[in-house]
Amino acid sequence: MTAINITDWNTWYGDFQVLNHINTTFNDKTITAVVGPSGCGKTTLLRSLNRTAELTANFRFAGDISVFGRSIYADDPEDVRRHIGLVYQTPVALPLSIRENVLFGPRYYGKHTRGKLAAITEECLTQAALWDEVKDKLNKPAFELSGGQKQRLSIARALAVNPQVLLLDEPCSSLDPLSTGLIEELLVKLSVTLPIIIVTHNLFQARRIAQETVFMLNGQIIEKDLTSTMFENPSHEATRSFFSGAIG
Amino acid sequence: MNKLFDSFLITIFWGSGLILLAGLIAIIAYLFIQGGSALSLDFLRLPPAGSPLGKEGGVLPAIKGTLYLIGIALAVTSIPAFLTAIYLSEYAQPSPLLNTMEVLIQSMAGVPSIITGLFVYALCVVQLGWGISLLAGGVALSIMIFPVIVVSMRDSLRAVDRDYRLTGAALGVSPAYMLRRIILPQSWRAIIGSILLAMGYAAGATAPIMVTAAAISAPASGNLFDPVMALPYHLYLLFNEHISLDNAYATALLLVIMLLILNSVALALTGTGNMKKRR
Repeated sequence: MTAINITDWNTWYGDFQVLNHINTTFNDKTITAVVGPSGCGKTTLLRSLNRTAELTANFRFAGDISVFGRSIYADDPEDVRRHIGLVYQTPVALPLSIRENVLFGPRYYGKHTRGKLAAITEECLTQAALWDEVKDKLNKPAFELSGGQKQRLSIARALAVNPQVLLLDEPCSSLDPLSTGLIEELLVKLSVTLPIIIVTHNLFQARRIAQETVFMLNGQIIEKDLTSTMFENPSHEATRSFFSGAIG
Repeated sequence: MNKLFDSFLITIFWGSGLILLAGLIAIIAYLFIQGGSALSLDFLRLPPAGSPLGKEGGVLPAIKGTLYLIGIALAVTSIPAFLTAIYLSEYAQPSPLLNTMEVLIQSMAGVPSIITGLFVYALCVVQLGWGISLLAGGVALSIMIFPVIVVSMRDSLRAVDRDYRLTGAALGVSPAYMLRRIILPQSWRAIIGSILLAMGYAAGATAPIMVTAAAISAPASGNLFDPVMALPYHLYLLFNEHISLDNAYATALLLVIMLLILNSVALALTGTGNMKKRR
């Protein structure tokens, strides 16, 4: 089932066109990796999906994106951002306790009983594979966590507002292999319930966890296919060059 | 060669800092030597006396008057300045209007304080009929410190980690919620520091109150429409009229001590805030 449909999508920062006639789809309950050299527009594509690209000055766009059949321009940007969670490259622990980091979104979006809030905290931290490590120190400041734990906390915080889609922008680029492994396991588990799109520079990571891979170059999608096909038998010469390390 | 050049630069930087520090210490030491003996408890708790007035006695009404003026200036300006800073930092989108506002505020900070004093004299003292008064002086000081507080508060708010704002935006929460939960708790020390620095700036200002509020002698009743004594103006009179150099130095020393305390507390607050942010 298609979760996201992008139709003739173009974006500009000022006069500089970043994305050029993007037409593609992303499947539900699937991890899709977006790869490509630096500056090819991967992050802009990701940030277009939850409308945070619009927060940048001079951003312009043309085309449409729909999520589960509904245009993201049919709703307020805040609603779109709530339903399409985005986790950034840098692990961010808000200057609050571990518990309040998880509850940051839920407290804004509705009044919950204490029991409900406790349930959200446990559920999201468990989903993010962090519960066992922090259940005895939920009131401690979140900045005391390690980089890998902070990144899993970021994912828990995004999950706490029940997103329909989860976007991750190079979530493991600053993490050690052990933390990277934990995040990858977590993403594989989460992909059973929702579509995940991950921008990564790590081709091995794409191969390990993504069912589908998108290769971008110069603001365009060159190729999108099953990850195994992309790695073993790409259709385009540019894809072959990128995966072989000839361009990067 | 590069190491030698680095050492040379570090020596220059340290030397520049030490020259400034030496200048500050020299001023304070000189004031202590000249006015330390006259700065007594009686000097703080008595009104000026003698003939000409100020030759004897103390500066109690001037201390009170200065505090009243600062209080009114802060009451008038701190909330508008705080709201302006929040708008500039959290709500205003990059636009020609924002650029114009930023330039206007910077320009306001550059207006000579005597011009502000003359404007308030024309508007409040003459047109509105307030006369030379505590209220007019407070308004003049409030206009003078407004841009200082706005710029300082705006920078304190903007200094909060940008990643926090991005995280909030990605969750779709409103700027008001981000302000309440994250931005203000992170920046309140620096915001209080901004107010204290502005208080110091107002306490030392002479020109705007000369034409709007200050009197040679006044009882500091606290009545908004009465003229008041103020430390910087009293100091100016003691020097300019050659009334008493000992009392002038003691007044100057008192003013400098007040400003040093205010600035030290402000820097301690902003410094603590910055260290917390770096952790």
